[in-house]
Amino acid sequence: MTNFRRLIEILTDGGVEFIVVGGVAAAAHGAVRATLDLDVVYRRTRDNLQRLVSSLTELRPYPRGAPPGLPFVWDERTVQNGLNFTLKTELGSLDLLGEITAGGSYDDLLDHSDEIQVFGRRCRCIRLDELIRVKRAAGRPKDYEAIAELERMLELIESKRDDG
Amino acid sequence: MVKSSQRQELQRPPLDPVIEAYKRDVDVSLLLENLRMTVEERLIALASLGELIDEMQRGVRLARAGR
Repeated sequence: MTNFRRLIEILTDGGVEFIVVGGVAAAAHGAVRATLDLDVVYRRTRDNLQRLVSSLTELRPYPRGAPPGLPFVWDERTVQNGLNFTLKTELGSLDLLGEITAGGSYDDLLDHSDEIQVFGRRCRCIRLDELIRVKRAAGRPKDYEAIAELERMLELIESKRDDG
Repeated sequence: MVKSSQRQELQRPPLDPVIEAYKRDVDVSLLLENLRMTVEERLIALASLGELIDEMQRGVRLARAGR
């Protein structure tokens, strides 16, 4: 199982600019569904790629589901030449996303995220309304139940806000 | 780059009837429990769930091996 806490600690301690999206973001907003991986949108600047690579090297990232022995090298060149990486690491499954459908890049998502404090660190998490929007736009049948739950959550939050 | 016009266009894909159908079965009491927690408490609960699943899977594997 993925050690979400350690992965977030390692990324934040390494100064990596990223936004938590996906199931962990949903859980952070209060969803009750389980998730098995940490999905983050990372900033694709040169400095950030360096920090990302350096922070994760000790976790020996490797493409998830790929046969062992592939000539996969975890370095800046690999990240620069790719965009989205579904990885297994020594702390579990980590999806590094340069862009997400309908949400775009880190810079596109920045104004649709909030800084949150978790595990004594500060990191960014996609806002609930934006998470719903990108999940809707992705249109994956497996997300329908999750979207329904997130929308009910948003309705509850908004009704509480209206009640003062 | 996602333009704001694209964002609006993508706001409501035609999934609503399906999602509305799923919404009827959402357990609101669980959501309300979660909304009372802090973000950190929610993530700790998620991590605990992960540990529980690991343990349960280990237990099931051992039980199957012992059959």
